[in-house]
Amino acid sequence: MTTTTKRIFYQGGAVLTALIAALTLGAGAALAQAPIKIGASISLTGTYAKPGTYQKEGYELCAQEANDKGGVLGRKVEFVVYDDQSTPATGVRLYEKLITEDKVDAVMGPYSSPITEAVANVSEKYKKVMVSPLASTTSIFKKGRKYIFMVISPAEVYLEGLVDMAAKRGLKTIAIVNEDTLFTKSSAIGVADLAKKRGMQIVLQEAYPKGNTDFSALLTKLKAANPDVIAASTYFDDAVALTRQMKELNVNPKMYGVTVGGDLPEFYDLLKQNSEYIYGATQWEHTLPYPGQKEFMAAYQTKFKREPAYHSAAGYAGCVIYLEAVKKAGSLDADKVREQLLKLETRTMFGDYKVDADGFQVAHKMVMFQWQDGKKVTVWPDEFATGKARYPTPPWNQR
Amino acid sequence: MTPVITPIMLGQVIVSGLLAGALYAMVALGLGLIFGVMRVLNVAHGPLLMLGAYVTYWLFSTLGLNPYLSLLVSMPVVFLIGVALQRFLVRRVVDAPELSSLLLTFGISIALVNLAQLAFTSDLRSVEFITGSFLIGPFAFSKSRVIACLFAGGITALAFLFLQKTRLGKAIRAVSQSREVAQVCGINVQRIHLFAFGLASALAAAGGTLVTVMVAIQPEMGAVYTFKSFLVIVLGGAGNYPGALLGGLLLGLVEQLASLFLTTQVNEAVAYVLLVLVLLLRPTGLLGGRST
Repeated sequence: MTTTTKRIFYQGGAVLTALIAALTLGAGAALAQAPIKIGASISLTGTYAKPGTYQKEGYELCAQEANDKGGVLGRKVEFVVYDDQSTPATGVRLYEKLITEDKVDAVMGPYSSPITEAVANVSEKYKKVMVSPLASTTSIFKKGRKYIFMVISPAEVYLEGLVDMAAKRGLKTIAIVNEDTLFTKSSAIGVADLAKKRGMQIVLQEAYPKGNTDFSALLTKLKAANPDVIAASTYFDDAVALTRQMKELNVNPKMYGVTVGGDLPEFYDLLKQNSEYIYGATQWEHTLPYPGQKEFMAAYQTKFKREPAYHSAAGYAGCVIYLEAVKKAGSLDADKVREQLLKLETRTMFGDYKVDADGFQVAHKMVMFQWQDGKKVTVWPDEFATGKARYPTPPWNQR
Repeated sequence: MTPVITPIMLGQVIVSGLLAGALYAMVALGLGLIFGVMRVLNVAHGPLLMLGAYVTYWLFSTLGLNPYLSLLVSMPVVFLIGVALQRFLVRRVVDAPELSSLLLTFGISIALVNLAQLAFTSDLRSVEFITGSFLIGPFAFSKSRVIACLFAGGITALAFLFLQKTRLGKAIRAVSQSREVAQVCGINVQRIHLFAFGLASALAAAGGTLVTVMVAIQPEMGAVYTFKSFLVIVLGGAGNYPGALLGGLLLGLVEQLASLFLTTQVNEAVAYVLLVLVLLLRPTGLLGGRST
């Protein structure tokens, strides 16, 4: 060989060796340090922005606490969150991106049933376990999907407490109204089933389109039907509008309950004393005697400087449950984690967790509260009640 | 399952429908003005209503200003916003095919809604000012709706008087009929366009102000009013101003009656069925007008 060739050979060889050494060491170091990336799309803008942001905070707190305790499987937990703008189609696109481009190790669910339903197809396609803490529509979990897991109680039992309390008092007639969208429809069907089982007569069952603001005709019919109980499966603005117009048209049931929205502090802010006596359903209250409540409340307050809503609690619990399953499985492998999630029975600060073979939640219980003197008092079930229900609801003109 | 419908119930519902209809009529009149004068389909009409609502909300929550008094602020403010939109954006598509104006105003509506979301957040707001109802015999009429109807009726009447009696109003109607001839007659068409867009925006804003005490205020609240205004315009006849009034009242009535005799679930569908029927049987609208 010539001198030049020798020089190239030796120098090249040295550089190459150094490169390989660096890469191996670097890669080795990187692998050991690489965090577990959990991807999710959450509604940070659009109509679901508020509850979506709360859910994200729950995820973040969970990750922070896991990392403070040394991480999971020796690795730190890191959330990669995108904004799906409260739109199912955007959510689908984002989960595809998270799984195929960002190559996340795991995914967690988005906010709301419609978006969860849409993105569940993506997580199933790529066989990624997805714990979906904020989807309550039964049908999502009963389509033969294998990798999706439910945390909160299904829509059908949201107003179970209202029906139970009414039946125990011997009330006979019930009217059911609902917004004509996925969750509220399921909730209304659930109430109807429960009411029929308890021997109550459904005098009126009607849906109204999303965005409906004028309930005069509906309420005129309700007034004529004169039910003992009105069960309204609502979101927030319709709950407010319906309540206001009930007062205007002087519709006076003995019990009146709403679903989502009735538990928000804004409900009282907007309606003030008109919200008194109204029953609401909630997946979680921080006053419930579940283990770890105080610690969760304190940690949340420290990190976010305010009290958590149930969406935060659900997000937090969902993440905790997922990481628990990962630890038990000893790996991130979807089938191993899935096996653990199917077997797991636990009680977190959010309540009980146990799923059936479809991943459908069977243990978690809703609680019902009633607005009393500007505060939410838990009135059902009896084991968690902090006060007695004020019954019957007095007519509007006598308050 | 549905209870028997008594004359009292019917009466209650008819009045409710008319009350709502007056509001639709006022807002739709604005949309009709823009179409009549400029042949522009203003998809951003709803967001303009939303802006009027927010002006009222902020005045109420910071200064405690009576929402009905805030009409004196929300209408001029949004009038100016409308004029600015016309001057800098809409003017460019006045002569273009209708698809261009649709696309542009659609873009404006997205921009306005998202700006509002950034500025005000999506939090639901409300103005707690007047609740309860007037009780007349067996009928109960929501106070806020009655007052809204009275204001809407008044504003619409003033708008009509303006269009009929004043020079500027007549000029607007002239431009609606034929832009070329109006120009030949010495009317400054550009200024008419600016003014008409501003006036239409002010009418939308008035609608927004009046509904603040009734519905939740949030950036996307205007969308439903855009749709209803389009319905009203087609029902009454595009470019036909009294037609907007008739169409509005008709829509309000149809919605409530459908809710009463059928179910509330289908009241939107019934309105659209009515639309299809009108388009099939009388495409120029009930009172006639330019065909779209």
